Amino acid sequence: MLSSRERERYKRQLMLFGDEGQERLKKAHIFIAGAGGLGSPVAIYLAVAGVGTLTVVDKDVVDQSNLNRQILHYDRDIGRKKVASAEEKLQAYNPDITVRVIDTTIDESNAASLVGHADGIVDAMDNYPTRYLLNEVAHAKKIPLFHGAIRGFYGQVTTILPGKTACLRCIFPCAPPQEVFPVVGATPGIIGTIQATEVIKYLLGTGDLLANRLLIWDGMAMHAEELRVEQNPACPFCGAGCGSKKTQESDTKRAQKRKTK
Amino acid sequence: MTVRVRFFARFRELLGTDISVTVQDGTHLLSLVKGIAEKNREGYDAIFDAKGAFREFVIVMQNGKRIDTADAGSAPVADGDEIAVFPPVAGG
Repeated sequence: MLSSRERERYKRQLMLFGDEGQERLKKAHIFIAGAGGLGSPVAIYLAVAGVGTLTVVDKDVVDQSNLNRQILHYDRDIGRKKVASAEEKLQAYNPDITVRVIDTTIDESNAASLVGHADGIVDAMDNYPTRYLLNEVAHAKKIPLFHGAIRGFYGQVTTILPGKTACLRCIFPCAPPQEVFPVVGATPGIIGTIQATEVIKYLLGTGDLLANRLLIWDGMAMHAEELRVEQNPACPFCGAGCGSKKTQESDTKRAQKRKTK
Repeated sequence: MTVRVRFFARFRELLGTDISVTVQDGTHLLSLVKGIAEKNREGYDAIFDAKGAFREFVIVMQNGKRIDTADAGSAPVADGDEIAVFPPVAGG
């Protein structure tokens, strides 16, 4: 049951999806990997929407150079743990939700247990190795992965539904090179807000998700494009008969194929 | 025959987009995109490696269908094709 306080807080969205929808959000648990440029808008919008439990994971400390985009963190937070800063802001935005924060690096050994029983994973990371790991956890737990990534004025976003859509490896079999990427804060603002919209729609069971659709955002041309994507039968992760042996074979085959060209 | 090539994001900045090119029958994807990219050194280097192959993270679509870039050297293009070339981004 919603309290009268909650009913007032969510008044303008109860107009959209009613008590039942709001209850769904309240019961939900979303795992947000990263409290940076993408993680900030995602976490803020999910918090104010009343998603009942948010888990936010990040290992970093707030740096002055983060502040042009990571809107969960303020100037006074420089030197503070990002998760401590995130927890304070999110609870201040909405004291009626539960915010769990974990100060750690997501790796192979802890990813599945960190995600726990969450209903969905938001990819707000800045590197593909961790993204591929989240992709694996999402598939093992059969929960969606809300992918987003940005650079400069550009971004990409898609919603991965294990077993139903292309997985992250189908779409991006090879990671782009790691770099200190340029960025203006409005770009993760746009992409993160789209990710948050997708999470809310998914939890409500409404609307058309970015399933098998890769939305490409070009803030320079102010143009959004959609690329259709599909499951890749040769995907090194989810391709037919998915398994670690198969993964290794596919990787090797792909490497050999390249060598012979 | 005429083929339409569309570059996205950073590739668009360097090479333009919505490029209509007339090519000979039997032209392959790799040579088609190379031919256009060669007009801008930085654009070329962003898409191709030192050996002249597509950088492995570059996404190439032919009429909305993903092409394995390792096969681009033998993938023929046809009249009216639309080719999209897109660089995934990694930041967060």
